[in-house]
Amino acid sequence: MSIDTSTTQRHHRSAPAPLVRPDYRQRMQLADTLQVLCIVSVALVVALFLADGGAARFATPADALTSIGVLAGLVGTDLLLIMMLLAARLPAIDRAFGHDSAMALHQSLGKPALYLILAHAVLLIVGYSLAGKISVFAEVWRMLTVLPDMVLAFVGLGLLVLVVVSSIVIVRHRLPYEVWHIVHLLSYVAVLASLPHQLTVGALLAAGSPQWFYWLALYVGVAGSILVFRFILPVVRSLRARLRVEGVDRVADGVVSIRLSGHNLRRLQAHSGQFFIWRFWTPGLWWQAHPFSLSAAPTGTSLRITVRSLGDASAALGGLRRGTRVSVEGPYGLFTDRARTSPRLVLVAAGIGVAPIRSLLETATFLPGQATVILRSHTVGDSYLAYELAELCRARGAEFRIIAGTRPPGVNSWLPADALAARVSLKTLVPHLRDADVYVCGPRRWTDEVVRDARAAGLPTRQIHCERFDW
Amino acid sequence: MRIRAAAAAALASASVLSVGWLVGAPAVESLRSTLTTTLSSSASAEATTTTASGLGTSSGSGTSSAATTTPETTAPAAEAPAATEVTGTFDGSAVQTRFGPMQVSVTIDNGTITEVTPLQLTNDDQKSVMISNRAAPILRDEVLSAQSASVANVSGATYTTQGYLQSLQAALDAAQF
Repeated sequence: MSIDTSTTQRHHRSAPAPLVRPDYRQRMQLADTLQVLCIVSVALVVALFLADGGAARFATPADALTSIGVLAGLVGTDLLLIMMLLAARLPAIDRAFGHDSAMALHQSLGKPALYLILAHAVLLIVGYSLAGKISVFAEVWRMLTVLPDMVLAFVGLGLLVLVVVSSIVIVRHRLPYEVWHIVHLLSYVAVLASLPHQLTVGALLAAGSPQWFYWLALYVGVAGSILVFRFILPVVRSLRARLRVEGVDRVADGVVSIRLSGHNLRRLQAHSGQFFIWRFWTPGLWWQAHPFSLSAAPTGTSLRITVRSLGDASAALGGLRRGTRVSVEGPYGLFTDRARTSPRLVLVAAGIGVAPIRSLLETATFLPGQATVILRSHTVGDSYLAYELAELCRARGAEFRIIAGTRPPGVNSWLPADALAARVSLKTLVPHLRDADVYVCGPRRWTDEVVRDARAAGLPTRQIHCERFDW
Repeated sequence: MRIRAAAAAALASASVLSVGWLVGAPAVESLRSTLTTTLSSSASAEATTTTASGLGTSSGSGTSSAATTTPETTAPAAEAPAATEVTGTFDGSAVQTRFGPMQVSVTIDNGTITEVTPLQLTNDDQKSVMISNRAAPILRDEVLSAQSASVANVSGATYTTQGYLQSLQAALDAAQF
């Protein structure tokens, strides 16, 4: 077969030639464009300040503090709006970076944005009080009583501090998810509450000026994106798809596969490896939504997810009745075959991370003998969906390995202690690793270790794909 | 981030910033020159364009064209501490600024500035109105606490401040405050 010949030739090349698909090139161009836009938007707010003659307002200490404070507020607010766009589920952002990378960037911008906004408040209070030759406390009082919309602005600032602090605490897992989620919704209120003072107190964004038009367009654009892509589109899609629970299959203790049926599901354009945010309309569950990956390739009439009960809420999922209505947001994620850049494929999973790996294996493009599936577990018997994976591997000609054992104490590794001692690595496990795309899904720490191993083996970023399911 | 994207971002940001700088340059320049002329002309202001015209509110005239100073003197109360202390409402002259005329009136009660009322604020466009509305209450507070027209500039409202204080000074001069 001609196909076989070509792949054999590929194996014999001395230097691996990664297959850069047009898909990949387009994605990178989109990613570049978005990143450039993001940075230029920061430059643009500084330019707005300069265009207003801001460069002249640094003569006195009071003016200088005020001007730096204004700049901090402009850049900080711009970052806040970028954060909101990153969380707005914009299709372009998901296509370019994937949902989890976008959210990682969202997270990393949180603190800088807050510091800039706090600096804005402090610098303006000090700058104004110097100019007015009054104490900072008198200045705060005057701001609240004399200047328009400042009460709202201070409320917004307080909410912003609350949101960022709760996010930092939640990252350390001291708050339940639902509390964090509700607090997080307050960030919309914070951003809106801070808008009036920007327009009325700041001379820069005075009504009718070009700056004013740009600023309002920015706010309208962000608000519109959130409204359309986070609320309207999911509702419309869910109504059209008419998803219902078809059946619940027990996989292991606390792990179930949920089969769903619906109409014209091709219109969702979901791909193996992606996830949806699911809402099950039962009396106990309707008020919360959780992200779960597809564990089987989507068809025109059916979807399947495999879920492990992590919290009190997902425990109730095992008791879902047939016919329960389901609404979804999504599909999201770049953990798909579309992100491929190389002919070979390595799928690595631990725990419930097996779900997207299972669906990827079903539909990913590879020739027999060119894919390896690695399952990591504590003991041989406790991998989820292992039987299904073994069947699929046999049918598609993929190599299947289960690596079981306990972690080495005190060492960071994705492998068990004995494997580590025997110097096993991704490179020794998978022949022709440099010719492969590696897909990793599992707990965050473990995933990071696999990614580190893949990098150590010389794989470039474009060949490493991971999905971290912490939410 | 790829090198290409970083370079493009740097280039685009640099050009956006320079455009902003260029657009802002005339504003910076005119701000500097206005400040200079305002300051240099203020010495001779009283004699020429900004001649003070303190008008008693009882005279019923709201314009600033009257040349004479006729402070309204309240009926001197027996227990007034000093008969020479000024009392009355005085209009400052209309001062031309880049964004329109500015005029304030000041109310003095027994030698104390008790109120400054804007009669005209810079209102050439919405933006000037906005700036004026922001600066005026701040300036009023500062004037009341300083009891003079020697108060600091309100950041971002330089023209308004200059015009406001110049008109106020004219009114105070008229009141021989």
